[in-house]
Amino acid sequence: MTGNFRWRTAAKIAWRESRASAVKFGFVVLAVAVGVGSLTGVRGFSTAFHAMLLREARTLMAADLSARMFRMPDAAQLAVIEDLKKQGVRETQITETLTMVSSPKTQTPVLVSAKAIDPAVYPFYGEVEFDPPAALATALTPEVVGLSADLMMRLNVAPGDSIRLGGMDYRVLGMVSKEPDKMAGSLNIGPRLLMSRDGLARTALLNEGSRAAQRFLFKLPPAGTSGAPGVEDVRQRLKKAFPDAMVIDFRETNPIITRGLNRSTMFLSLISLIALIVGSIGVATAIRSHLEQKLDSIAVMKCLGARSGQIVRIYIIQTLALGLAGGVLGALLGGVVQLAFPFLISRYFPVPPSFAWDGASLAQGLITALLATLLFTLPPLLAIRDIRPSLILRREMSDGPRRRNWRSAVTAGAILIGLGALAAWIAGGKPMDALQLGGYFAGGIAVALISLGAVAWLLLRSMKYVVRTRALPSSLRHGFANLYRPGNQAQAVLVALGLGVMFTVTIYLVQRSMLQEMAASAPPGMPNVFLLDIQPSQRDEVAAILDRQKNLAQKPEIVPSVAVRMTHVNGKRVEELDLKGFSRRFLQTRNVTWSEAKPPQTTVTAGAWWSSNAAGQVSIGEDAARILQLTPGATLDFTAAGQSIQARVAAVHRSDAIRMGATADFIFSPKTLETLPAIFYGGLRMPPTEVPALQRTLYERFPTVTVVNIADVINTVQDVVDQIALVVRFVSAFAIMAGVVILASSVAGTRFRRIREVVILKTLGATRARISRIFSAEFLVLGATAGLMGSLLAMAFSNLVLIQFFEGQWKFDWLPLATSVALTALLANAAGWIASARILGQKPLEVLRAE
Amino acid sequence: MDSSPILAVRGLRRSIDSGTHVVDILKGIDFEIPRGQFVAIMGASGSGKSTLLGLLAGLDTPSAGSILVDGVEIAGMEEDRLASLRGQKIGFVFQSYQLIPTLTAEENVLLPLELSGDGRGGADRARRLLETVGLADRLDHYPVQLSGGEQQRVALARAFVLAPPILLADEPTGNLDSTNGRHVLDLLMSLNKREGTTLILVTHDRSLAGYADRVITLSDGLVVADELRETPALTYDR
Repeated sequence: MTGNFRWRTAAKIAWRESRASAVKFGFVVLAVAVGVGSLTGVRGFSTAFHAMLLREARTLMAADLSARMFRMPDAAQLAVIEDLKKQGVRETQITETLTMVSSPKTQTPVLVSAKAIDPAVYPFYGEVEFDPPAALATALTPEVVGLSADLMMRLNVAPGDSIRLGGMDYRVLGMVSKEPDKMAGSLNIGPRLLMSRDGLARTALLNEGSRAAQRFLFKLPPAGTSGAPGVEDVRQRLKKAFPDAMVIDFRETNPIITRGLNRSTMFLSLISLIALIVGSIGVATAIRSHLEQKLDSIAVMKCLGARSGQIVRIYIIQTLALGLAGGVLGALLGGVVQLAFPFLISRYFPVPPSFAWDGASLAQGLITALLATLLFTLPPLLAIRDIRPSLILRREMSDGPRRRNWRSAVTAGAILIGLGALAAWIAGGKPMDALQLGGYFAGGIAVALISLGAVAWLLLRSMKYVVRTRALPSSLRHGFANLYRPGNQAQAVLVALGLGVMFTVTIYLVQRSMLQEMAASAPPGMPNVFLLDIQPSQRDEVAAILDRQKNLAQKPEIVPSVAVRMTHVNGKRVEELDLKGFSRRFLQTRNVTWSEAKPPQTTVTAGAWWSSNAAGQVSIGEDAARILQLTPGATLDFTAAGQSIQARVAAVHRSDAIRMGATADFIFSPKTLETLPAIFYGGLRMPPTEVPALQRTLYERFPTVTVVNIADVINTVQDVVDQIALVVRFVSAFAIMAGVVILASSVAGTRFRRIREVVILKTLGATRARISRIFSAEFLVLGATAGLMGSLLAMAFSNLVLIQFFEGQWKFDWLPLATSVALTALLANAAGWIASARILGQKPLEVLRAE
Repeated sequence: MDSSPILAVRGLRRSIDSGTHVVDILKGIDFEIPRGQFVAIMGASGSGKSTLLGLLAGLDTPSAGSILVDGVEIAGMEEDRLASLRGQKIGFVFQSYQLIPTLTAEENVLLPLELSGDGRGGADRARRLLETVGLADRLDHYPVQLSGGEQQRVALARAFVLAPPILLADEPTGNLDSTNGRHVLDLLMSLNKREGTTLILVTHDRSLAGYADRVITLSDGLVVADELRETPALTYDR
């Protein structure tokens, strides 16, 4: 019969109780809302931010995808392109070739890298700019060309002058001041000459046998267009149709941007999840303290025949309603966050404010709110079963310590699995990665709960001995004794506070480490000016000129380059290796370099770098090692200038550097190549405004040295990295602030049990100052212990996350540890005080009457 | 009328293990209570009265011994079955009223009916009982809007709403002034008579115990006197 206790009655009681505890529940709703708000807000914003970064990445290749090859496509390949066009994919062709250009003023021909584009279509992303300004689509007629700054200087021409190329005359339109895909071409070793395809057709440069590179750029139809092919689909079709071509898409244009994107997305998901969990901890502590106050009502209902299940029903309705209200409010808050972030950071970069309120993310926010709230409140809700109705007769009656049974273990397991699943769901991405993240989360929380519980137990035990020390002032002894007196929630508060500190400090540590790593992989000193073709005899003097430059971010780099061809891998002829498509580039002569020390922005991923004066050793780039299946210890044979060279693979490295001339695929130990004819390449980072002056100086002294200015491209990369860093900082600050507010409230939640104590102390003659000291002692011990445990756990957890998901390394840092211990102690104290201030001011009789 | 006792207690013991030492509160109690009897349980503070009452109601589990409520053994009974049994067989009146603060007077009285799944048909009975205790005009008032005497009268109505065969009262007038205490006692006795309930009253007030058919006196966890009266020392007439 009792099972018929109607949901309506349960809902009525739940609603009445909520109304009576409006302020407290208002806070619970806020705690959930903050969590859900950061989840939906951060996700929505990071989607917009992601889109912006991808747009920048597209700008660096002026397209969504490109296919690069050294011959014209055949009929079958053209048919594939036509098919793509029918599906809404736009295409444009670029031809790049090396040729000689002369001007009537200098007569000396200069080798240039000519790039022929279709001005009506190119570029799909970004813009080409000229100085003086001109519109590419209309100004770049077949009779005109654009020249890079250094080429104009070398040819000594001004806009309007004429130059000669491939037997034809062209008028100079102006200087090409901005070219989005400057770094994406393959024949960039000469200064740039930009012309239209029709202009190139006027010459006979593209006859059979000429060395011209073809680059096809593709732009996909807007996402969501029906029947539109996706980037991966198009990429696969192109790879299949053009086996000899290098097909890349915008996601892999620049390794720094790609990694930054992946990491920031992962990090933002992590933060959202943590914000929600910290919010849920707030809810759990609030519900626990609410139920503590409702003990009498619950016991009475049990006396009147209520089953535990019926009472649990009341509080489940209440909890779910709170979760739902928090979820809805959170979704609104998320909208505000989405709108506010772009506004806050608009000074630095343009992300259009947008509401990305799609049903799925809204539903995810709400479901997550309900599940997280329910999971975290499960322990206090299930504890309702343990409330004895006899409480109503004898409050002090006790059976000693409550026995933990198998039900508690099952509940704990269910909560952990639930949290893990939630984490996996929010993290998204590949199922295995998501599950792994979920596992780490659940494991992290389990370890945290067990160690926090153990420390709390130990602390409370030890307090019993501490208070026996008569030397302590009595108010301190009273404060410490409060921690273990019956009915005190010290253990629960310590666990909640510790868990909250752990997550909050984790956000800080992961964020800090990520920013440091990003700064290291995109240092402000990355070269933005490259010098090509420096002869050995010119090397020292060029170096001296570079050293005299002011405002350099770091010492200019001048690296040697030697043309070598690989002949054998581990004794096997390279022609016998199974190399297909673009991998066949390893069969050709390649420019390699040597270096005594490991070059900057280079990470050894296997093996070890050599000591000085080592001979016959080589370090291989990650890509080359993968394609050629090389590991440290392998032997390679090369031929160069009629000599044979043998080298043993000492290391495999990854390079984030942007270099010209010599690729980073093979770096030899110094003595290996020293007898071969070398040419030197330089790189330096200087303010973009000072580049033209350096170009002039070098050209006057060394007319054969080419200066390539990629300051604008480097600025784009640096901007993107700065933007990622900025967003990571903003979002972390938001999540940390939310965490602090919620943690403060878990301490504040204990104030209800203090009312009676304060009253009795006051009645017995205690002054407010004395009561303050008693509570301060209690709060400080709680805060400092939770801070210490939480930050120690955060060190472990953040290192785990960094190593597993961000390829970081183990670090231990005292400063954040000490800071968070002190801050948590102060926070706990301040929160306790703010919450208890009103109680302290109350007259004892007001409370005693209400009893 | 069924001649079997409504309550039978044999060898009842209750100890509390505080972790460091064990306190024996009840040290072996035996008695039977026939149907319809009015029993007062007396004793000094700490004698074990409230513990005994809690055990009789199945609010607590005995350390040893047996308790038969209407022939059903409740020692060791599972918590939810105990709750159902209480709902069907036992009414309660507490010293500090114990109304649910968020429910109105009428809703408080209806609560046991709703918990037993019989909420719909009980509204009339709840209202009649509240009229009987003189609170017909206070149906929609919350406990905080009622005086102590009024709150205890709501608690009386609530205790009788399911017409339980047993009513347990723990110092029901202990928090009231003499006028209100007298009024509540009058109502308790008259309802008890009308409903034919077995009434077990815990008190240390001798004058209150004077109305009982039988007085069981506890001292230090043992029954030291069990006094059956042919005619109660004080008779209730109204």
